[in-house]
Amino acid sequence: MIRAVGAFGLMLARLTGALGLVLARTLIHLPRLDRRELFRSVVLFGYRSLPLALMAAMLIGSTVVLQAGFYAVKFGARLYTGWAAGYALTREFGPLLLGLVMAARIGARNAAELALLNVNGQIEGLRGISLDPFRLLVAPRVVGSAIAITALGSVTFLVAVVFEAVSSFFSLRMPLRVFFGSFQDMLRTADLWGGLAKTLAFGLAIALVSTVAGLRARGGAEGVGRASASAVVLSCGAIFSLDLLLTPFLTRVFG
Amino acid sequence: MTELLRIFGAPMILFGRTLVAIRRHGVDGRATLKQVVEMGSRSSLLIVSGLAFFGAVMVTIAWAQARKYTGNITVVGPAYFELMVREFSPLLVAVLAASRIGAGTSAELAAMSVNEQVEALELCAADPIAELVTPRLIASLIALPSLMIIGTIASTVSASLVVTFAFGADGSAFTDARFIDPSDLVCAMSKALFCGAFIPLAAAARGLKAKGGAPAVGEAVTAAVVDASMGCLLIDFVVAAAFLLIGV
Amino acid sequence: MTVPSDQAAVRIACEAVTVRFGAVEALREISLGVEPGEQLVVTGQAAAGKTTWLKCLAGLQRPTSGTVTWAGDDVAGLSVDERRRRQSAFGMVFQSDALFDSLTVLDNVLLPLLKRGVSREEARSRAEDVLRRVGLDAAMTKRPEELSGGMKKRAGVARAIVAQPAVLLADDPFAGLDPVTERSIAELLLEVSRGRTLIAALPDPVESLPLPRVVRFEEGRLARDEGGR
Repeated sequence: MIRAVGAFGLMLARLTGALGLVLARTLIHLPRLDRRELFRSVVLFGYRSLPLALMAAMLIGSTVVLQAGFYAVKFGARLYTGWAAGYALTREFGPLLLGLVMAARIGARNAAELALLNVNGQIEGLRGISLDPFRLLVAPRVVGSAIAITALGSVTFLVAVVFEAVSSFFSLRMPLRVFFGSFQDMLRTADLWGGLAKTLAFGLAIALVSTVAGLRARGGAEGVGRASASAVVLSCGAIFSLDLLLTPFLTRVFG
Repeated sequence: MTELLRIFGAPMILFGRTLVAIRRHGVDGRATLKQVVEMGSRSSLLIVSGLAFFGAVMVTIAWAQARKYTGNITVVGPAYFELMVREFSPLLVAVLAASRIGAGTSAELAAMSVNEQVEALELCAADPIAELVTPRLIASLIALPSLMIIGTIASTVSASLVVTFAFGADGSAFTDARFIDPSDLVCAMSKALFCGAFIPLAAAARGLKAKGGAPAVGEAVTAAVVDASMGCLLIDFVVAAAFLLIGV
Repeated sequence: MTVPSDQAAVRIACEAVTVRFGAVEALREISLGVEPGEQLVVTGQAAAGKTTWLKCLAGLQRPTSGTVTWAGDDVAGLSVDERRRRQSAFGMVFQSDALFDSLTVLDNVLLPLLKRGVSREEARSRAEDVLRRVGLDAAMTKRPEELSGGMKKRAGVARAIVAQPAVLLADDPFAGLDPVTERSIAELLLEVSRGRTLIAALPDPVESLPLPRVVRFEEGRLARDEGGR
């Protein structure tokens, strides 16, 4: 037990170190990123994930309303459904669930691609012809996937709200006007900013964690599988930890 | 729509084939037990810490809102507990398990598949579905409800601790089971069982189809985790809607 | 040493077999028959279709079109149970060895026997015999990852032949092996396949495995077939 905890602590420390290293080197390279690679990764991670993100948003929006609505009907507070659903969506469920789905889609893919390059020795190969693999491959991916996740977060937020309204119309027989009324009256733009800040943080975490997981991959098909699996799992862990750290801070800043 | 068919089609077919394999070959108890231990030990850290963090976050948000509107946070305690048991915990546990179990299972099976081990099993006169899918399906059907119970406990404990120590209010309100009735438990349990069946099937369907080296493994894992988590979101929505419509 | 076979030797054949993976045609209209006890080498470059053909013959890969027959019966027409029963006439040495990493070498070799319902004691003595024959008796309790390339190949051969199949398929058995190990694996294959059908897929014919019939595939097509009965 003690050994397991020790091993876990060691792994955590090593991981944090690797994360810090990747973050620092990405920041250094920020002014002179490889534009083509950056564009490619924004398209690959962002645009290609759009259908999935939209579908996730539909489901998240509808589910949140069902949950909030169940509560509202039970306590006779139907009028607050719009606010409750909107608040939950912007401040907690939207960023959290979208982050988890994007960890699966973008984190796993990024890790798998980097792991593949790594396992095939292509990353070493770049270094061999004195090109910096970090500037060419790694930094653009980190920035690209962070941008992609944040952008997807803001687009899907709108979709999720629409589906909340539709779903409360069908399940609670609540007129759309009433839903958006309570939504408008009680929700402030600050709530939106709070949610977006979370999404950005989650996006950056997924990008960093999956990059580290991919670069650490060793040894053939199993190595690639392990790298993408651990990217997903570590991203999920990072998302929950960040959520815990950010929420008190954000509630203070944005109320 | 086609997306839905893609996510649910292959796992459904595999489910049918697994039922046939169970009828023909039975269930290997030892292999299943090994998978239960593996799934449980692999996922419990993630799920316990994830749900504990989530519980703390939720009461922090509730506290900020309560100060603005109602003034007293303990009023929402019992309702929060019911919502946690019935909706939040099953949803989050399922999505986390979809990542953890889905990724692990698909990575393992995809690597076996590209290394020709699945074909080798067939030539050893063994049925790959009975050997590889059946134990994982049964194990996940056992693991998910257990993980859900553990996760719910973790989130409840952390919520009431945060309320007691950070906000100085009465935390026991958040463990008040006044509103919990059997229908809440049935709702939560059915979510856990449906997701528990779906996750390993989605992962195995992707993993066993992998062909052609390391790239195929990476693709299989990505696709499997996406399928599993989207499938769990959808299952959750459908079950929640069904329970809301029949009004329990 | 000749070993009595559990399985009656059968004629295996394929008729106009085509296999497509998406847009890629791995095999195009292959028609070939292999007589009982015949031994041959299939040659061809990488991606010429050798592996796919071997897997079609063993019933592991279903052809997109065309038929594979075992003793005249269409494999696609067999029931699942029947196919599985008759499939046990095949043993295959896989290119990637395909040993189960969670099992020891002995357990790997035991598996085909246990799954065929052989009793534990008999299976154990037969598996130990076979491991002795391939020279792995000292490594029985090791896991595959602890073995060298040549030893893994030997373990793969042991697992393929332990249930005494009538047909032994070997997919690129010398890949990644040095010449000395190659020769010893070739001798092993010749010895254990005596009296059985042997089909070995290789990039080019090699001196160490002088089989009478040589078939050549090029880009999924049959390019040459020499020395058949």
